[in-house]
Amino acid sequence: MESADIAVLLTVVGSIICFGGATVLALGWAFRNGQFDNFQRGALSIFDADEPVGEPTDFFPDYRGHTPDPDPPHHWTRET
Amino acid sequence: MDRGMILFVGVLLTFTSSWLGLVLFPFWQLQNQPTFQAEPEDEPYPRPLQGAAWTGMKVYQKNGCMYCHSQQVRSERFGNWWEDPTGIMRTGGDIRRGWGYRRNVSRDYIHDNPTMLGTMRTGPDLANIGNRYSAAWQHIHTYNPRAINSWSIMPSFAFLYRKERIVGARSEKALPLGREWTVRPGYRWRPSPQEWQTILQRYGDQIKERFLLEVGPPTFDWNQPDGQNLLLDYWLTTPEEGWQILPTDEAEALVAYLLSLRKAEYPLPEAKE
Amino acid sequence: MAVSVLTRDQLRWQAAQERVTIDRSCRGPVLAFCATALFWLLVGSLLALVASIKLHSPYFLTGSPTWTFGRVRMAHLQAVALGWSSLAAMAACLWLMCRLARVELVYPRMLYLACALWNIATTLAVIGILLGDGTSVEWLDAPTYSHPFFVAGVGLVTAWVVATFRRRREQHVYVTQWYILAAVFWFPWLYTVATLMIFWAPATGVIQPIVNWWFNHNFLGLWVTPIGVGIAYYIIPKILGRPIHSYYLSITGFWTLALFYSWAGMHHLIGGPIPAWLATASTVGSMMMFIPVIAVAINHHMTMIGHFHRLKYSPALRFTVFGAIAYTAVSFQGSIESLKDFSEVAHFTHYTVGHAHLGVYGFLAMILFGLYYYMIPRLTGREWYSSQLIRLHFWCSAIGITLYFTALSIGGWWQGRMLNNPNVPFANIVMYVQPYLALRTVAGTIMTIGHIAFTTLFVINIAGWGRHRSSGPTLFSQPPLPVSSPWPSTTNIIGTPSTHL
Repeated sequence: MESADIAVLLTVVGSIICFGGATVLALGWAFRNGQFDNFQRGALSIFDADEPVGEPTDFFPDYRGHTPDPDPPHHWTRET
Repeated sequence: MDRGMILFVGVLLTFTSSWLGLVLFPFWQLQNQPTFQAEPEDEPYPRPLQGAAWTGMKVYQKNGCMYCHSQQVRSERFGNWWEDPTGIMRTGGDIRRGWGYRRNVSRDYIHDNPTMLGTMRTGPDLANIGNRYSAAWQHIHTYNPRAINSWSIMPSFAFLYRKERIVGARSEKALPLGREWTVRPGYRWRPSPQEWQTILQRYGDQIKERFLLEVGPPTFDWNQPDGQNLLLDYWLTTPEEGWQILPTDEAEALVAYLLSLRKAEYPLPEAKE
Repeated sequence: MAVSVLTRDQLRWQAAQERVTIDRSCRGPVLAFCATALFWLLVGSLLALVASIKLHSPYFLTGSPTWTFGRVRMAHLQAVALGWSSLAAMAACLWLMCRLARVELVYPRMLYLACALWNIATTLAVIGILLGDGTSVEWLDAPTYSHPFFVAGVGLVTAWVVATFRRRREQHVYVTQWYILAAVFWFPWLYTVATLMIFWAPATGVIQPIVNWWFNHNFLGLWVTPIGVGIAYYIIPKILGRPIHSYYLSITGFWTLALFYSWAGMHHLIGGPIPAWLATASTVGSMMMFIPVIAVAINHHMTMIGHFHRLKYSPALRFTVFGAIAYTAVSFQGSIESLKDFSEVAHFTHYTVGHAHLGVYGFLAMILFGLYYYMIPRLTGREWYSSQLIRLHFWCSAIGITLYFTALSIGGWWQGRMLNNPNVPFANIVMYVQPYLALRTVAGTIMTIGHIAFTTLFVINIAGWGRHRSSGPTLFSQPPLPVSSPWPSTTNIIGTPSTHL
């Protein structure tokens, strides 16, 4: 094999080790740091008191009726 | 994921991997690819574009020719199966179509700037077009492709040509086209029935004389409407009196560039199939 | 703060007040980006029609160099990709980052400058190309003198997005914010590297198309796709009032997109004069893209499930869900297209053009339309003027893109089969494809009618001719307050929505 090929091979293998290692380290850190505890809470962050879970927020401009089928109460609550 | 820094580092690393792999590695591998010489006394292949061909490449570039024409002949192992006349299933449509003698490899493009590989074949591949058509053909085709191929959808590039009055003799460079292609450059002209009647009244005798000279006795009655139509068809193929279509420098350059495109001709050791 | 003392109405009022303040702070620049984006959508639609007509009626406008097909095609792409898509995407970044960080935008004047710079760049690009300075580098067709303006424009936007993020009040970093932060980081880097290696310090030979397609594919995958997906991740739950189905899936989707999408670019050069390992690596990356696409699809679908009837009530939801479904479809198609057997047929044909438009229009443009329909009334304080025009816009766009995609996919596929068979004369291929190209013009005309309807609605809203928003809990009018409210009179705080920007 030419030296250029060896250099490419080393770089590829080295990159896989570096990037793969970084990924493993990052995931390890994330679990230890508690990033994945109560993860679903993040999904609620876009709601607030005025646009809460269960209330749709967009209608056609000529919509005259009441909110259709409001959702039944969820088990998700936003911790304050 | 609440830490901006973690996000930043992750986004950076994932992107860096592709940047290394798809940009830097090929750069290291191909940036200094040398030309090829079979024997020391041979000219190195490929040769950079010279003079008018380089200007022509610029014309090709700024008019977006690449967006209909590719310049990359694919290998013989490429292309789906098709049945040849002996019933054998084959691959390699590009080469069999005559678009090149071999596949293109990276060495063919080392002097190209910009490298216009192209991604559409609305029109044929042009990597080896210099081998297939003469300058005269290229001029007519560029001026109005439908003068050669009636089915073509390629734009007319009549704006690369100028229509001027003949002073003295017709120039050697004038495009040998009938008046249907030159009266409205870029378009195909046909007079309306009324216009044709007017023309016949004025020049009918001369046209008929010329017909007799060039073609011979008519096989149709040119005093009937049908015959007059056939006479019109003939008349449209005659050159427009007093006018000629000449290529501008840009058109000459473009054709020089097209003739220089012989990318799939010179045998290279790495282009085995 | 004695939060527990406030009644539910007072809490609602307070939340609405916060949201209105945020919306108002970014209103000017965001609307500037939105308006100019829409201008380029119209310009791009007209250029598209001209180009499309020329392909089945070659004598259309064939006399002048300015309108020759190659130039019009380059100008069209710049107008819709760098003009419409990017400007609307930047508007999305600014508004969504403010909303999600729950913080106002500061020094909005610099963003007016960013908008002006980007528009100058796009104008230089389109006019420069038509006048003969096109570069014949796909997606980077713009003349080099436009580059500094693009870089400066997006640089300012990136800086403002990051600055807003750093000032955030909302501690949690939502999915959409990851996508936006990533996109505004990736795009300037992509653009700078690509323009350097192709124009300013040109690399040798085939390295140029390699870098070019790394850029082009990442323009789609690391600039507009993250923003489009990010928009959908916000709009769909917000409109429905339901949180995203699985946050775990969204994080998986994000990181796998970041990792795999950037490797897929070389599938545009399969069979070309590039090292074989490049094409293979990209095919692998393209197939791995199934993972993030499926993650996003499951998330959106499971969030929507049981609520598809709401598509009848919300225009923004309609557009966004159409776009989200198109995203799944076009991504699956793209992954399959990167396989050699498929690419052999589809490469170089109109099939690829159909695929590209399913992506940038069926997915991206429809989601951007959805964003406009949701965001604009909240910025201007005025409702959309006419439901009929909204419905016209939707059906024109939906039917148009479906017809476009179907016509070019069928025509392009057989074009590819015939191209590979040397017994078929080239003339037959050209004649075969003609009716499909004519159908494309029909589809494009329908889409353009939709765009005109959309622009009409937008202009009416901006000019102040719509009704004030008063329906639903989102507040732009006086809310009913308890008599013993500790809060001062609302007229001084919310005020009436103003008509000037």
